[in-house]
Amino acid sequence: MASTPRSGMVRINPWILVALAVYAVAGLTGIVVLLSPTMNNRMTDTDLTSTFLHPLSPGHPLGTDSLGRDLMWRLLGGLGVSICVGVGVALISIVLGLALGVFGGFFGRTASFATGLVVDVTWAFPAILLAIVFAGWLGPGLPAVVLALALTGWASFAVIVRGEMLSLRERDFIAAARVLGVSRLKISLTHLLVSLFPVTMVVGVFFVSTSIVAESGLSFLGLGAQPPTPSLGVILAEGRDYLSQSWWPVILAGALLTGLVLLLNALADNVRDRFDPRSRRLQ
Amino acid sequence: MRFALQRLAYAVLVLFLASVVTFFSMRVTPGDVTASIVNVATTPPEVVEKLKEQLGLNLPIWQQYWNYLTGMVTGHLGVSLVTKLPVTTLIANSASYTVILAISAFFVAFGLGVPIGVIAALNRGGWFDRVALAVASFFLAIPNFVLALVAVLVLGLQLRWLPVSGSTSWKNLILPALILAAEPCALTVRVGRTAVLEQLSADYIRTLWARGIRQVRIHWIHVLRNSLSPIISLGSIQVRTLLGYTLIIEVIFRWPGLGTQLVNSILHRDYPVAQALALLLAAVVIISSALTDLVYRWADPRVRLSGSEAA
Repeated sequence: MASTPRSGMVRINPWILVALAVYAVAGLTGIVVLLSPTMNNRMTDTDLTSTFLHPLSPGHPLGTDSLGRDLMWRLLGGLGVSICVGVGVALISIVLGLALGVFGGFFGRTASFATGLVVDVTWAFPAILLAIVFAGWLGPGLPAVVLALALTGWASFAVIVRGEMLSLRERDFIAAARVLGVSRLKISLTHLLVSLFPVTMVVGVFFVSTSIVAESGLSFLGLGAQPPTPSLGVILAEGRDYLSQSWWPVILAGALLTGLVLLLNALADNVRDRFDPRSRRLQ
Repeated sequence: MRFALQRLAYAVLVLFLASVVTFFSMRVTPGDVTASIVNVATTPPEVVEKLKEQLGLNLPIWQQYWNYLTGMVTGHLGVSLVTKLPVTTLIANSASYTVILAISAFFVAFGLGVPIGVIAALNRGGWFDRVALAVASFFLAIPNFVLALVAVLVLGLQLRWLPVSGSTSWKNLILPALILAAEPCALTVRVGRTAVLEQLSADYIRTLWARGIRQVRIHWIHVLRNSLSPIISLGSIQVRTLLGYTLIIEVIFRWPGLGTQLVNSILHRDYPVAQALALLLAAVVIISSALTDLVYRWADPRVRLSGSEAA
């Protein structure tokens, strides 16, 4: 952000990409191990003879938790869960938001009003509250978390899409295209997808980061991933109970989570600056 | 005035739909309410039926919704299935705790965030600006329950400066309020800074300079007033986020507010309490968003001129 070239595109900071790639590799390792029936015991095997081992202990590079489970593998698994939930929620939210935004922006005043109403009702519930209701409904677990977060997340994207649709409809080239006999919806959708691309990128990264935080928050409260599934939220919750004996599970999981969110936020800022010269000028 | 009435009618409509959602989302949940009061397997069926009758659960679902709605309007919110206390009493006991916590956090967030944002913008590129932005990025990234755990560890368990749970003295308020305020404050700094920067490059600033208005007055009266709209609309979003975060912060610090009540009631399937609390929180969000729209029109005459399209 410090040295912005006066002309041309802002380059995305390569260090952010490198760090995110490290996170991605770690997360994918976690997912592979978690899904592999022969290896996932690394994350869940308890050993009550070696609880609260410090980091750098032999065989346990990052130590063990209150049940003697290896922290490194649990953190990797938790990271994998975070990434799956984040990406899954972002994709579903974007598809839902796009569908409702196009509906609200294209089919006249009533549709626009109806979409606005649904958005306002969704927004009336704090995201975490609605997620709790869904967890209570579907039973606590990761599918409930993904669904709940996606069903609350779409609203902000729908509002953006609807606004873009409404302004597109008024533009001259739409009128020109209509005169030429091309259907208005077709023209709008083509131009919409092109003009929405930048904002979708930014919102998508933002969705990933907020969903990762929300998932770990719900898991922390006991409404998300259920033990023994490793999730950063579960590791934080279990670590919290033994905070006076061992601080490292909480600090390691917290640092991992904060670092990931910090990187994703920086990436979103970078992408936005790249596409929006106005925000770049104000940095 | 007409706008205010329209906005109010719209708020009532949203609130009505929110009540439908809360009621049905909790009723379609698998698992009978009676199961959380008695052990269905060992209790004779007649007793379970009798219980359902007492709770009004044998009525058609529309009838149940109507009873619930009229109860909400007249203040008869039912009785907790777990503690057997009236829901109004439970809410009255815990609401003040949440209000104190949320208001303290709100004042910390804006009281610190707005001046820091303005000073950062006025010293754009200076050391204060850079430090403020870096610190703000950090507090935007760290999830508040992680921040809470770190604070408990360092300030509570290691340094023993502040109590980490309970609600017996004003000291108990400090940690949760500060942690709750951290993210909104960081966001206010960033939004406030951008808004002020946008104003500083506007033409009217040069006019004010030319008229010989003092710099302090230009910055803290003219620029600040014109930078208010994004900060106000941020405030409305903040209410929603703050309420959501309050739930988790209250649980961590064992602060006996609405959040603790809500999480407990949902975990224990205590429907009357959960429904009333969910709707109460939704009402707070809806009302604050309506108020924001009205304040917005006051702060930004351009919104007023553009007519009632905003509704």
